[in-house]
Amino acid sequence: MARTKGYPAALDKKLQDTKFYLDDSNPEFTKNVKAISRTTAHMCYQCGTCTGSCPSAPRSSYRIRLFMRRAVLGLENEALTDPDLWLCTTCYSCADRCPRDIIPTDVIMSMRNLAFKRDIIPVNFLKTVQAIYSSGHGVPNNDVNRAAREKLGLTRDPPTTHMYPEYIKGIQKILDHYKLKANADRIVKEREG
Amino acid sequence: MVEKKKTTTKKTETKKQDTKKVAPVKQEGKKQAKAAAGSTTEQKARVGVFICHCGTNIAGSMDLTAVEAYAKTIPNVAYVDNYKYMCSMPGQAVINKAINDNKLTGVVVAACSPRLHEPTFRTATKEGGLNPFRFEMANIREQNSWVHMHDQEGSTDKAKDAIRIAVAKAALLQDLFPKAVPVEKAAMVVGAGVAGMQAALDLSAAGIKTYLVESDASIGGRMSQLDKTFPTLDCSQCILTPKMVDVGREPLIELFTWSEVHEVEGYIGNFDVTIRKKARGVISMAEGEARGIVGGGCNGCGDCEGVCPVVKPNEFEMGMKPRKAIYINHPQVVPLLYTIDFNSCVKCGLCVTICGEKKAIDLEAKDEFVKVKVGTAILATGYELFPIEKKAEWGYKKFENVITGLEFERLICASGPTGGHLVRPSDGQTPKKVGFVLCAGSRDNTGIGKPYCSRFCCMYSLKHAHQIIEKIPGCTPYLFYMDIRSFGKAYEEFYYRIQDEGAKFIRGRVANILEDPKTKSLHVMTDDTLLNRPIDLEMDLVVLASAVQPSADTNRTRKLFGVSCSMDGWLLEAHPKLNPCGTTTAGVFLAGVCQGPKDIPDTVASAEGAASAASIPIHKGEVELEPYFATCIAEKCAGCGMCVNLCPYSALALVKKDGRTVMEVTEAKCKGCGTCGGFCPGGAIWMNHFATPQIVAQIDAFLLGGEQ
Repeated sequence: MARTKGYPAALDKKLQDTKFYLDDSNPEFTKNVKAISRTTAHMCYQCGTCTGSCPSAPRSSYRIRLFMRRAVLGLENEALTDPDLWLCTTCYSCADRCPRDIIPTDVIMSMRNLAFKRDIIPVNFLKTVQAIYSSGHGVPNNDVNRAAREKLGLTRDPPTTHMYPEYIKGIQKILDHYKLKANADRIVKEREG
Repeated sequence: MVEKKKTTTKKTETKKQDTKKVAPVKQEGKKQAKAAAGSTTEQKARVGVFICHCGTNIAGSMDLTAVEAYAKTIPNVAYVDNYKYMCSMPGQAVINKAINDNKLTGVVVAACSPRLHEPTFRTATKEGGLNPFRFEMANIREQNSWVHMHDQEGSTDKAKDAIRIAVAKAALLQDLFPKAVPVEKAAMVVGAGVAGMQAALDLSAAGIKTYLVESDASIGGRMSQLDKTFPTLDCSQCILTPKMVDVGREPLIELFTWSEVHEVEGYIGNFDVTIRKKARGVISMAEGEARGIVGGGCNGCGDCEGVCPVVKPNEFEMGMKPRKAIYINHPQVVPLLYTIDFNSCVKCGLCVTICGEKKAIDLEAKDEFVKVKVGTAILATGYELFPIEKKAEWGYKKFENVITGLEFERLICASGPTGGHLVRPSDGQTPKKVGFVLCAGSRDNTGIGKPYCSRFCCMYSLKHAHQIIEKIPGCTPYLFYMDIRSFGKAYEEFYYRIQDEGAKFIRGRVANILEDPKTKSLHVMTDDTLLNRPIDLEMDLVVLASAVQPSADTNRTRKLFGVSCSMDGWLLEAHPKLNPCGTTTAGVFLAGVCQGPKDIPDTVASAEGAASAASIPIHKGEVELEPYFATCIAEKCAGCGMCVNLCPYSALALVKKDGRTVMEVTEAKCKGCGTCGGFCPGGAIWMNHFATPQIVAQIDAFLLGGEQ
């Protein structure tokens, strides 16, 4: 039953028009990516050094070279709606080796910024925002860590907002200024109810 | 803006009066200019302005009607005309006719750069009956329409300025007469690789005595290190050695190996070059004869090499084979003459003893300096590999089985360190999978590698792939590439052939290479961009097609000859398309890779071009020097001698004249650079064609602004 039901839909997908038309391209997207990333995103010559260096690529469907191509051609929708956009670990290996001296990681970061403006963002990223807002840490300390720190002769909490919670207010002020927390709360609520 | 103009006008007016007073005094000091100066003062200047459309190159970016109307209002302008292509024959005829009809005293052509058409319009001016140096060019193309393509108003204004400034100078131009100097019937070629050898053979075939200077101990250059050549797969040595032998045999070629250019003086037609013959420690048979040693001098027997106790890596074999402190590069060397590496020689004297009566070895040899006079010179200083270990991700010099293309050439060559058996440096095993990393250090904008394409790596890597398929059954080459640039004659067909033979092409630049510490095999990491998958291929051997860069001594040598270089160090040609062998120094030419990466066919073609160009002044027998030299106005010269030390061409000297010490210019040596004229505290130096009143008039014309 599931097979007969699913088959035509899959076939539809296989048969759809995948040509790249000029209408798909938004030159403004290339300019915006360049402006936000502050790197020469339009200069990519698709050598593959970035993907070859990428620790995420062998383990996932993430292909940074593909995003660079989309940046060059202005394929805004395709880039921003691809869930792979969020698989970059921001290790900057590609930036170290790019022969065109582009910083592909920053191109990805600029696309994430543009996607967020359209509310395209995975919930886990928003949960990180909420964690930073409440604790000052994206990954707050926990009891396992505390025990490990103690064993190493360190304080149970690091000398950050964990040790000085009075500074959390400052962080919250910054996040509020950019309405990051408000937006995160709103989107999480929409998704999770 | 308006205010500014007004104030500058006041200043320039006073300046103008100054120059009027000064100019005649200056001109009295000059014999040649005297008549001309007379004519400018007696006869009112009548300048013709000719505006070129250059098709739409100029006309498309500015309002030439407005420019022409404005030109008519400039003082001293007697005639204005325009033409679609001023440099064409009808265009030149317009100038010719106008000079005669309007009794012009000066000509201004507003068109392209003087570097392109100054000679054309000087000839046209001459044909119209004027002295050719009464021509001045206003560049309204390269410095205007091409750079202000989208600013019609701005470019029109700028063209008006350029013409006004040119007219100001043209009104004050004088008759000048070029000096003809005889050309020495000899030439010099620096570098005896395939380019230098070809150039020297061509020059000597044209009957010109040629000095061929090579810094290495033998001739042949990079090409003699190669095994085979693409796309024909001829053995490199087989096609090169006949040329090497010809060079050694040709009576008109005087070969200086183990030598460098030490000093260059003079100018086209008369270069005085000092050659430093580095201490070699071994004398040739000819030198032996000259020293009266019967049957003496090195005959290449090699006995010395047998007894020498010092072992060093052989640079010719890329350090993969040992040599002694007394050595030859390889068995086919020209000249067959041993050389002592004095940096490693321990002076034990064993070689002297075994050489015996031939007395060819002199352990106390010193550098010798030889002076020669040549009319023209060709630089053919070649290239070396970029130190690819700087791109640390590929592990060269860190992983034993990562080698360069040049090391591959020696390993696959029958006369190489392994007798032509390609082996892994780590264990001597025959590799079964060989990776080739193309664009290694080329097309790299990171500041570590080279931004340019090294141009022959694609093709030699294809050739390497062919060689391993041919020599090692079951061995597969993998070529990691970005683009295969098989642009030459029969190159694309060669690419087809190599793919057909079984080479695997993977479109992806290698991101990094990791070594398996146990097997010393290499993991090549990249992205198969056509498959859109990251890949990790295990190779037994990896060959880096390293970028090339100018050879180490290029910069020093080029400075001696006054040749410029581009940002990446390659020597700069006079024009990239229309004068690729010439340089901005008259009489100095470029051959081969020193001008930019070239494969062998292009190198030989460039060498033949350079030889042809270098032989022209020699066959003509004399060259005209532009009469831009400085002259001393004796009445104003205080004899301080400051200029003498400043002159970069040693053209000035202090002499006694009428009981006073004054400066005198050797006109043939002076290049008219203006260093002395600009510095002279007494204003006693007159620069022909760039005289103070002429330049001040140009500055005035600029500062006075558009409307007068």
